[in-house]
Amino acid sequence: MFVMNFLIRRLAQGVVIIFLVSLLIFTLLRVVPGDPVRMMAGGMAPDALIEQIAKDMGLRDPILVQFGRYAAGVVQGDLGQSFVRPANGAATGGATFNDSSRGERAEVFDLVVDALPMTLQLAALALAFALAFSGLVGIAGGLAPGRWPNKLAFYISSIFISLPNFWLGIVLTLLLSVKLGWLPAIGYNGFGYTILPAIILAVELSPVLIRTLTSSIAAQMGASYVAVGAVRGLSRSRIIANHVLRNASVPLLNLLGIQFSGLLGGVVIVEYIFDYPGLGLLTINAVLQRDFPLIQGIAIVTSAIFVLINILVDLAATSIDPRLEY
Amino acid sequence: MTTDINRRRFLRGAAGAAAASGFMQINPDFFISSAFAATGKPMTFLSAENITGNWDPTAHTTLSQKNIEGFVMGFLTRTPMRLDNPGAVNNELATSINLLDPHRLEIKLRQDIVFHDGKPFKAEDVKATFEYGALPDRPAQWYPGPTETLTITTPDDYTVIIDTSKGGYPAHLFIFLASFLPIMSAKDIAEGPGGVLSQRLNGTGPFKFVAQQGNDTVLEAFDGYFKGKPAIPAIHFTFVGDSTTRMLSLMNGQASIVERLEPEQVATLESNPAISINKVVSVENKYLWFRCSKPPFDDPRVRMAACHAIDRTQILEVLGSAGHASSNFVSPVKFGYIDLPNYPEYDPDKCQALLAEAGFPKGVGLPPLEYITSVGFYPKTKEYGEIIAAMLQEQGLPVSLTVLEPAAWNERLYDRPGGGPGHMVDCGWSTASPEPDLVLRTHFHSSSHRITGIVDKDIDASLDKERSAPTLEARQKILQEETMPLIASKMPALSLFTSVMIHAMQKEFVGLYIYPDGSMDASAAA
Repeated sequence: MFVMNFLIRRLAQGVVIIFLVSLLIFTLLRVVPGDPVRMMAGGMAPDALIEQIAKDMGLRDPILVQFGRYAAGVVQGDLGQSFVRPANGAATGGATFNDSSRGERAEVFDLVVDALPMTLQLAALALAFALAFSGLVGIAGGLAPGRWPNKLAFYISSIFISLPNFWLGIVLTLLLSVKLGWLPAIGYNGFGYTILPAIILAVELSPVLIRTLTSSIAAQMGASYVAVGAVRGLSRSRIIANHVLRNASVPLLNLLGIQFSGLLGGVVIVEYIFDYPGLGLLTINAVLQRDFPLIQGIAIVTSAIFVLINILVDLAATSIDPRLEY
Repeated sequence: MTTDINRRRFLRGAAGAAAASGFMQINPDFFISSAFAATGKPMTFLSAENITGNWDPTAHTTLSQKNIEGFVMGFLTRTPMRLDNPGAVNNELATSINLLDPHRLEIKLRQDIVFHDGKPFKAEDVKATFEYGALPDRPAQWYPGPTETLTITTPDDYTVIIDTSKGGYPAHLFIFLASFLPIMSAKDIAEGPGGVLSQRLNGTGPFKFVAQQGNDTVLEAFDGYFKGKPAIPAIHFTFVGDSTTRMLSLMNGQASIVERLEPEQVATLESNPAISINKVVSVENKYLWFRCSKPPFDDPRVRMAACHAIDRTQILEVLGSAGHASSNFVSPVKFGYIDLPNYPEYDPDKCQALLAEAGFPKGVGLPPLEYITSVGFYPKTKEYGEIIAAMLQEQGLPVSLTVLEPAAWNERLYDRPGGGPGHMVDCGWSTASPEPDLVLRTHFHSSSHRITGIVDKDIDASLDKERSAPTLEARQKILQEETMPLIASKMPALSLFTSVMIHAMQKEFVGLYIYPDGSMDASAAA
């Protein structure tokens, strides 16, 4: 019952958040410089024709009217058609305004659904790498406050947080792909192509995870239940595995929800550098081409993912520690 | 009287000052006989430019898509423009091209060719291609006159006669076109602009179009290619926007060939023994276009003053190996190129004299001038844009530089009624042909209004005169002695330099390229 109430309440909040994000993105896209009709029709199209096309497409209506029309479509699962990308899957558009042979435009839903699994795969692998590495370094650091594992965790997280992902991407590609030939790097032609970009994202995620784990484990180790546990005859490893890690994981879980947003931001740059055909690369191209429907579609999908992840994280945290109320 | 075109003479004229050019056409022989072909591996080409998504060859002028067409489509001829062998011509779909008289051109065709969809290649395909491509609404606009100025007949299945009498322009203009107009199937063309033409490529070249998968164009070896099925089974032609990514992909062996390297990357790759660098003077000039349809650049004296304020040697220093000095409105690989004696050079005194004469002594009285450039597509535009702005400011022209990402810049590029945005725009113009009118007429004839918006009866008359010259020799003389100097005396745009396009490839791919229109010998491939 609690779970049902929780899900209904949080999903309702999530819908409001997605609605507000969509409205914000929709409005911002229409006030920034760069007329998408000019992009669609070509630079040589006369202004009168631009206005005509814009009017026909409803792009000169008040923003709220446009948004209402768009939102009605979204509710029915229609994210609209790309302004630029043709349905045959080619990279971009840009034929001139009077070209009668322009093909059908691609459905935004299809473009997003094609790219999303790639990004989820990348994000999942990055999270797995980050958790494994942070767990190793962070737990050791938290269990040995003031000693070398703790200092090592501090140095590693300080170094990792100082490395720009675009730089690290290039350097690791040179090292692991070009020099050593261990990993493929550019594009996507199998799961192996996910590993290197996932490592870059994991390096970006790890510092905060390591710090959080180190401090929360150190704090738990100082709690009275640990001392009492030892008095009751519980082994140190059992205290750590069954009690300390469980309690220390709550702040980590909350953090993961927030980190996920950072991950989506990092994905844009990393996918561009690695030419990885996910949502990040799609986003960059959509922004550069002023492809409004595509940008909006991506924004809605990513905000929905963000909301869902946070709901799941909160649900998991509540089940670990029932005292928490979200 | 029948006059055979003397190929050697024609090409000597066309390529008199030519180096190789960056427009990539393929040498079909490479796919059949090179050492790489023997390995049976697919080839991956990483392109710096995306494609349009409309496969109709007459619907675009996008260089990357032209490169794909080079693999898939057949051409009447492939014409080298190399200094060491300017006379070489490779007939492809044509067996001969003869000028019957100044207005009639006869093209004889090979008889053993089929399109990728199985249709036999015949004269009807050439006729349909020329008539369709010359329609006024086709965006590529490569033909010398609209369809109604042409009479194309096909006395038999393998002979085409082009008659330009109705248009009044010489038929020899089609000789230039023969080497780079892809021949489409008459059956496809019959479906019209909204038909199959826009959905896929169907040609007679060594590779057939299979699919577009995201940014990846997939081509497969064509069994029925008239020189034999290529040994390379497939080509992946992929758009990768970032030049560092392209370079890394080449270095780790994933990419076979990458294009548009930055000059700094060349040094990195030159030391790599597995990689070969190819630097070629391209068909592309980079220009500072003036908005001639609005003040103050509607006054040629102000335009000329701005030209004299700019020291182009400093720009070339910034560009390093990505730029090649030229003093004309067309690239040195174009027909008719000469270093124009009256091309404006850096001369502050002349600049000041012209400003004063125009009523703006030391620039006083000039409105604020906006100079629009892009960043992210062409090399070093922002860097040399800042230098140009500083040089103009030094002479009193109140210039501010606006740097935009390509989409926003493209939106502001072209002329509009009353003048386009800003007062000066940076842009390159690349047309994969020796034909100079694809630059001169496109930009400087009053009927075009492309970027400058110039309307000048004298330039129009001179452009019409050179186009109508009865022979190539006469045309070259008019271009070099009248038309080009006349444009240089009015300077609707300042051509800053000719781009050098830099390709890098795995060693075994040396020999792949044909430059416009020419090829490296496939036997030279490693």
